[in-house]
Amino acid sequence: MKKIVLQTEKLSKSFSNGGTMQHVLKNIDLQLYKGDFTVIMGASGAGKSTLLYALSGMDTPTLGTITFGDQVISALSQDGLAVFRRDHCGFVFQQIYLIDGMSVMDNVLSSGLLVSKDKKALVARAKELFAAVDISETTQKKFPTQISGGEAQRVGIVRALINSPDILFADEPTGALNSKTGLNVLDTLTKFNEQGQSVVMVTHDMRSARRGNRILYLKDGVILGECDLGTYSHGDMQRHEKLSTFLKEMGW
Amino acid sequence: MKKLFLIVRSNMRKAKGQTTAIIVLILLAAMLLNLWLILSIDYQANFDRYHDKLNAEHVTLTVDDNDGKIKKVLSETLNSDNNVAEYLLDTCMHMTGTLPYNGGDMNSWFVFINKQTALTRSVGRTELVEEGNVSSGVYLPMLYKTNEIEVGKPIELSIGSHTVTYTVCGFFNSVMAGSNNCSITEIILTEDKYTELEHLGYASRATLCSVRLQDKSDNINYEAALKSLISKSYPNANMISNSYDMVLQARYISQSICSAIMNVMALLVLLIALIVIASNIINYIQINIKNLGALKAIGYTSRQLIGLLLLQFLGLTLFTAIIGSGLSYCFFPAVNTMMISQTGIPYAIHFLPLPLILSLFILGGAVAVAVWLAARRIKKIEPITALRSGIQTHNFKCNHIPLEETKAPLHLALALKTTLSGAKHNITICITMLILSLIVVFSGLMTANMLVDTTPFITLIVGETADCCISIDPKFEDEFLQKMNNDDRVEKIYLQTSVSVTHSNETELLATLCDDFSQVNNQHVIYKGRFPKYDNEIAIGAKYAREKGLAIGDEIAITAKGKTEKYLISGFTQITNYLGRDCLFTRSGYERLGTISATNYYINLTSDTDIDAFNAEITRNYAKNIYTTINIQSTVESSANVYISLMTIIVIAILVLSIIIIVFVLYLLVRTMLNNKKCDYGIMKALGFTTRQLILQTALSFMPAIILSSIVGLIVSCFIINPLLSLFFSTLGIIKCSFAVPVGFITITGIGLILFTFAIACLLSLKIKKITPKALLSGE
Repeated sequence: MKKIVLQTEKLSKSFSNGGTMQHVLKNIDLQLYKGDFTVIMGASGAGKSTLLYALSGMDTPTLGTITFGDQVISALSQDGLAVFRRDHCGFVFQQIYLIDGMSVMDNVLSSGLLVSKDKKALVARAKELFAAVDISETTQKKFPTQISGGEAQRVGIVRALINSPDILFADEPTGALNSKTGLNVLDTLTKFNEQGQSVVMVTHDMRSARRGNRILYLKDGVILGECDLGTYSHGDMQRHEKLSTFLKEMGW
Repeated sequence: MKKLFLIVRSNMRKAKGQTTAIIVLILLAAMLLNLWLILSIDYQANFDRYHDKLNAEHVTLTVDDNDGKIKKVLSETLNSDNNVAEYLLDTCMHMTGTLPYNGGDMNSWFVFINKQTALTRSVGRTELVEEGNVSSGVYLPMLYKTNEIEVGKPIELSIGSHTVTYTVCGFFNSVMAGSNNCSITEIILTEDKYTELEHLGYASRATLCSVRLQDKSDNINYEAALKSLISKSYPNANMISNSYDMVLQARYISQSICSAIMNVMALLVLLIALIVIASNIINYIQINIKNLGALKAIGYTSRQLIGLLLLQFLGLTLFTAIIGSGLSYCFFPAVNTMMISQTGIPYAIHFLPLPLILSLFILGGAVAVAVWLAARRIKKIEPITALRSGIQTHNFKCNHIPLEETKAPLHLALALKTTLSGAKHNITICITMLILSLIVVFSGLMTANMLVDTTPFITLIVGETADCCISIDPKFEDEFLQKMNNDDRVEKIYLQTSVSVTHSNETELLATLCDDFSQVNNQHVIYKGRFPKYDNEIAIGAKYAREKGLAIGDEIAITAKGKTEKYLISGFTQITNYLGRDCLFTRSGYERLGTISATNYYINLTSDTDIDAFNAEITRNYAKNIYTTINIQSTVESSANVYISLMTIIVIAILVLSIIIIVFVLYLLVRTMLNNKKCDYGIMKALGFTTRQLILQTALSFMPAIILSSIVGLIVSCFIINPLLSLFFSTLGIIKCSFAVPVGFITITGIGLILFTFAIACLLSLKIKKITPKALLSGE
């Protein structure tokens, strides 16, 4: 029996657009499980990113609840949400969003030192993670604009993992990268997932989605369908066909 | 051109906050600049207008003349002198005296003149400005009109050692004898009171001589020559005089101080505004590098783009400066009332185009130069580079505070990183805080030495003070001294007589005589060298010595009572009496020139002695031999109150101004930082930084520059404040100010200033609350 890390109940999100309300998420009931690589797919405007922001505490729902363990995070204040994010979440963004004024190492440590007071252990973990994503010591001392997009996104992953988050949220992590570096980033995410890291990723790219073991398809603010792909293994054509069939069914 | 206007409008709309802050700073600078220019250009010119209106004299002399012989001598001399354009000799009475003023007593040389004569004088006319229905009594200079002294109310005047009570009939303006700063104070009496005073014999019969010169610039020399002429023939005649230059400077001391402070403040505010504008432009170029690149790509030249910024800031400055100059007229009535209460010369407020034009020219010119210097870098922008990547704004050469190695807490370390990456911000902060530190030290110094404890200021400005001064007949001197020495209430008594002497037959100096200068209370009167000790020595005013190129050890010729002797300069004094034209002799030194006609003794009384009661008792007991008694404490208090009230207003005004400056400078810097780092703050919030942590980081990032520049500023200011004040007071004859620097007070104020800036930075950073990670992610 898988353990639930995050769940929503009747989650809804609406925006006012030119005087009319636009309902982006509608009564979503969802459970995210520990160790899963959950992929949220859907067409543009389906509400994928909105769902990700709501799940990760970046945004607050209009209605419904989001619960992490015993904690109802949808009831938290902005600062409460910030504390929730730093203690339990890691983020990988499409635009990477490293802080230009800080070195690669400082980008990671600034996030880590928010949670951990043991700097020595933190630096050791950062180095271990850097090694895992193949970021050299020289690169660690560089500034974000001095490294390539692929390197920057891998640094982004290290920053997201530095506090050993309960869930790693990734919003189109390969969206701004070329196919080779994108693949590299996906391999990295897969590797950490294989080590037990729960991942929730938004993507509209099939190649990226194939890395997940659980695919959720979102359409017009509701989860239209769900597909269990099983554990990822490289070159598994059956997974690919299963996903293709699922997506076709969903109207992809 | 229309396109340029559209771009300018768009720029200003985008940066409403920054534009508002710059407007406030320029507004303040324009107001202060215009007020300073009005005070400098027109205020003293108003003295000339009044001088001409009342056909006032350039030299006034009042001299004992019981039988009219001196009047005759003067008449013959002035008639035959080609330098004299016009003169008038009138009979009057004169005597030293006091009247209640500003909560104390005002001591001056009173010239009593009857009403009819005063109002019909062809030279040195007076102008009645207020008159009641009282037919018998006294008219006083307008300066002395207070709540206590009003038409119909009685006033007690002390004349020599006597006291008389008159009813106030009205007030008048007199240019050369209408203020306690003029040496001579004119008192107009109705015919009956004049005759009564003549019969009482409390004041001496005298001749009042008013001379208008062909060339008014000769006034100081002519005054000395006229006195020299009389003293040759009548060495023992009491005479008091003043001259145009001396009266002008004396009546406008407060105005000069106020004007100088406004000037300094205006320039400081302007300097801050220029730094803020320059920093704003540099920041604008960084943020809009791609837009500027695009404009260049479509054909705009660097000159046009710089012109665009010039148009924006110059237009804003000139428009704001016109409003600021206009606003200065709203504050002018209050400043004018304050100034009139110091100068005693009425000033009718009217619009002056010249200060406005000069203000616009100064502000416009300064802003144009600052904009051009800051915008020059636009020339270096290449369209392709700008469009592709913009210009990198971070210094990547060195990671000053690697988090891996630093021992500083996270938020402090991140704040320090921001500090070290913002050189422009730091420069702006440093210059602002250095200026504010100087203001804090100035305010602290003035508060401690002028408002809390008035003694240091009085010691510097007034010179020698004691509890009372008693002027006696020299024949009674030995007996008087014996009685005083036997009186338990008397702690110390020493000679302190003032007489007039002439240097090189051309400049009149006010000489103070003392038997032994080691007895005087104020040993700081000599700022270089020493007091005169022997009868061939003299100490002279440092300001006068500078003007004449005299040094300690030089020998100078001094003339008095028709005799000339040479004296060695033993030291330099700094007394504001006679605006620095003063000197000190030992009694024996002066007696080489002639005898003293009246001896003034300064007395220190025991602390429980009532000064007025003591003076009254002395007058009662030795009436025949006492010329006058003065309560010096009360006299000094009334003079000091004038400066104290002025300085209180100045200190409050500059502190308020400082707060406005600091708030707006920080507002600009925080706004700029929030704009520049909006994305970083969004990322940090997404990663789990709370609003409170980011506000703390932002406020902390300003603190190193604030703390460092405040400490350096306060320390440097403590060292330079006295030399600066010396420069400030130099026109009054003060060469070396040695006010005690209240280190404790300044330290506490400095800490207060730092904490205040921190609190303001925190408050201004509250806008971080509005930055949300979601806005970052959705590209808002």
